Amino acid sequence: MNINDTLRIVIVGHVDHGKSTLIGRLFYDTGSLPEERYREIEETCREQGRAFEFAYLMDALEEEREHNITIDTAQTFFKTSLRPYIIIDAPGHKEFLKNMITGAAAADAAILLVDGAEGVREQTRRHAYMLSLLGLRQVVVAVNKLDLVGFRRDRFEEVEEEIRGFLLSVGLVPAHVVPISAREGDNIATPSERTAWYSGPTLLGALDSFFPARDISGLPLRFPVQDIYVGDGKRVYAGRVESGCLRAGSRAVFSPSGKKVVVRSVEKWKQPALPEAHAGECVGVTFTEELFVERGEVLSEEGEASPAAREISASLFWLGNDPLRLSSRCVLKLATAEVEAVLSAITERIDSSTLEVTERHANRVENLEVANVTFTLQHPIAADTFKENPRLGRFVVAVGEFVAGGGIVREVRSDRLGGGTRVVRLHARMMTEPDGNFIDLSREAGPVEFEVSPGFVARLGEGEKVAIRLCTADQLEKIARLAFGYGLGMTFRRGPDGNRVVLFREGPVVQATTEEGFPVI
Amino acid sequence: MDHLDALENESIYIFREAHRKFKDLAMLWSIGKDSTTLLWLARKAFFGKVPFPLVHIDTSFKHPTMIEYRDRVAKEWAVDLIVSRNEEALCAGMEPGKGRFVCCNALKTQGLQQVLDRHGFKGVFLGIRRDEEGSRAKERIFSPRDKNFEWNYKDQPPELWDQFNTSFGPDTHVRIHPLLSWTELDIWEYIRREDIPVCPLYLSRDGKRFRSLGCVPCNFPIASGASTVDEIIEELKVTKTPERAGRAQDHEAAYMMQKLRSLGYM
Repeated sequence: MNINDTLRIVIVGHVDHGKSTLIGRLFYDTGSLPEERYREIEETCREQGRAFEFAYLMDALEEEREHNITIDTAQTFFKTSLRPYIIIDAPGHKEFLKNMITGAAAADAAILLVDGAEGVREQTRRHAYMLSLLGLRQVVVAVNKLDLVGFRRDRFEEVEEEIRGFLLSVGLVPAHVVPISAREGDNIATPSERTAWYSGPTLLGALDSFFPARDISGLPLRFPVQDIYVGDGKRVYAGRVESGCLRAGSRAVFSPSGKKVVVRSVEKWKQPALPEAHAGECVGVTFTEELFVERGEVLSEEGEASPAAREISASLFWLGNDPLRLSSRCVLKLATAEVEAVLSAITERIDSSTLEVTERHANRVENLEVANVTFTLQHPIAADTFKENPRLGRFVVAVGEFVAGGGIVREVRSDRLGGGTRVVRLHARMMTEPDGNFIDLSREAGPVEFEVSPGFVARLGEGEKVAIRLCTADQLEKIARLAFGYGLGMTFRRGPDGNRVVLFREGPVVQATTEEGFPVI
Repeated sequence: MDHLDALENESIYIFREAHRKFKDLAMLWSIGKDSTTLLWLARKAFFGKVPFPLVHIDTSFKHPTMIEYRDRVAKEWAVDLIVSRNEEALCAGMEPGKGRFVCCNALKTQGLQQVLDRHGFKGVFLGIRRDEEGSRAKERIFSPRDKNFEWNYKDQPPELWDQFNTSFGPDTHVRIHPLLSWTELDIWEYIRREDIPVCPLYLSRDGKRFRSLGCVPCNFPIASGASTVDEIIEELKVTKTPERAGRAQDHEAAYMMQKLRSLGYM
């Protein structure tokens, strides 16, 4: 991207710290406010017997005008001499955090707005934390409403110190902290005489110092398969290059399947033979050999493929109205992969405003909380840590119909199957076989992996049990993990016929009896 | 990759995502510059073959030039075009004189609903943009409508990192908005770059041109000497008049667009 290309900014902060007013002011001071809009606002204010308010520009919906708060993420546009800006107004009310996140996830940079009179508040901290979890690194702090404190330097510095301290604790360093008054126009487009003690840039100057930062260059190739189009006698794998560079003629490998391929062509409409495609480009790819890979597989260069994740440890932000419970099932969507997952551990629950760890080894994550968690995936998917590759290191969580949370990958466990590993498939059919619900592993001294079908868990849910005869302690550990991940109960008994484990699903009162009723392994 | 490339790729990604997730798709083609750009992007996304039909909701009050242009482009690009009118309302004498809100709602919103019902479409691509008008600024890219066609903009699920909400209840249909991040200027710069044919009404004749196209009785030209795409781009860079100033339904009463849209207007 070029420095003159559009920059998407999000304005976040506590409710009533002046976001809408700032947006109106940015528009007015950059000459971006159409005459007609200005008159509309004037008229609305007059009708309602109020003083002129820039805030009305953003509050386009009727209900918002009535309640005087910004409900949803709205986007508008202004321009400096350097470039155009898209401004994403993110609501400051706690209950609209999902809209704030929707807005901030689409931004290149953020303005964190703090009321100079009121100081840092709950949503100031929560929003700053979310910016860091979303991976937004270009942040400017605007300390607003300094007109209310007489543009006092000591007050500004007090707020500056507080916010810098908090940002540092979530790993953010603001590019600038600018003293402003959005209502009166100080340090927005032009330096204010009333803050002669301040020598940094104006707010617009600070924004112009940022980069449109959507490019991911310098990272290894990641090309997730989005869809497969069959026609004209060929299979075209459609997708977007998430990072790195995809070259025609190159050798590559799919993850998690491990299939190796040679890229025959990189195509777009009317451009059937591109030499290469870069991060951000949507292309179609064909291979020299016919193969069958599905959506969700990720193409990388040989030797630097994403690991095939079986288990993902992550920082999760939860936006669902209902809590996300330990052992509950959800769908993880990471790039184009979708996989059923079980929340197998909640290591820490964190208050997203104070950063305080409220509970360790918890059994649920509540609305608006952040947590460090582990997901066990039903089948492996390609994933990177967020640190290594943000594009393949972030995911959303869907429960039922809708996306209700998201997270960034801290750690990937692949448990790659070595040679000689016996894969034991646990499926519903097995449970009706004549010799009963019994699996004999007593002769399996080598490594074992279990694959579980949803039908199997459903049958256990209906009250059936399954007994497994063991050979090694390693098998016991694997089964214990499985029981933990799928919320199953288990007993272990040493008898004359060897070591046996029985897996079962406890009744509907699982949650209440877990403490006592959970069998000792 | 420049700004227009970034927008183009974003739109293509959305098209492919929707096509993968929904079986019964259609695209609304209003014949205007936005939905024609949308059509162009659909051709790019699917290597020239648009895998779903186009729908034109014909109110019967459209400019004849629009209809000529529509038929010419549809033939040239070999698109599968469904033209639909709310005949019942037209027979009953619906026209703007009955009130613009009532007329828009009957001929456009209900007209659309009839087509969706008749063909069982579960997803509709629309060329709306966030910079057009206030309530559109609040849209999600994948935006569900319930069986009554209503949009619950107060409680929309989060949408981030190109992970769209694509599973909805049986009675909902989803509006898909691949152009949401584009501005009017982006559209014209893209039209120039890609040499996309536009309806001649956009170009100035006798000192006037249409900046936004609609129905003859409710659609007024602006004073403009911009008779080429280049001149339109220059004009947009300095104008302070909003795009939909010449669209009567936006200005009839406070919040009219919002009310129309919450009932299912595009």
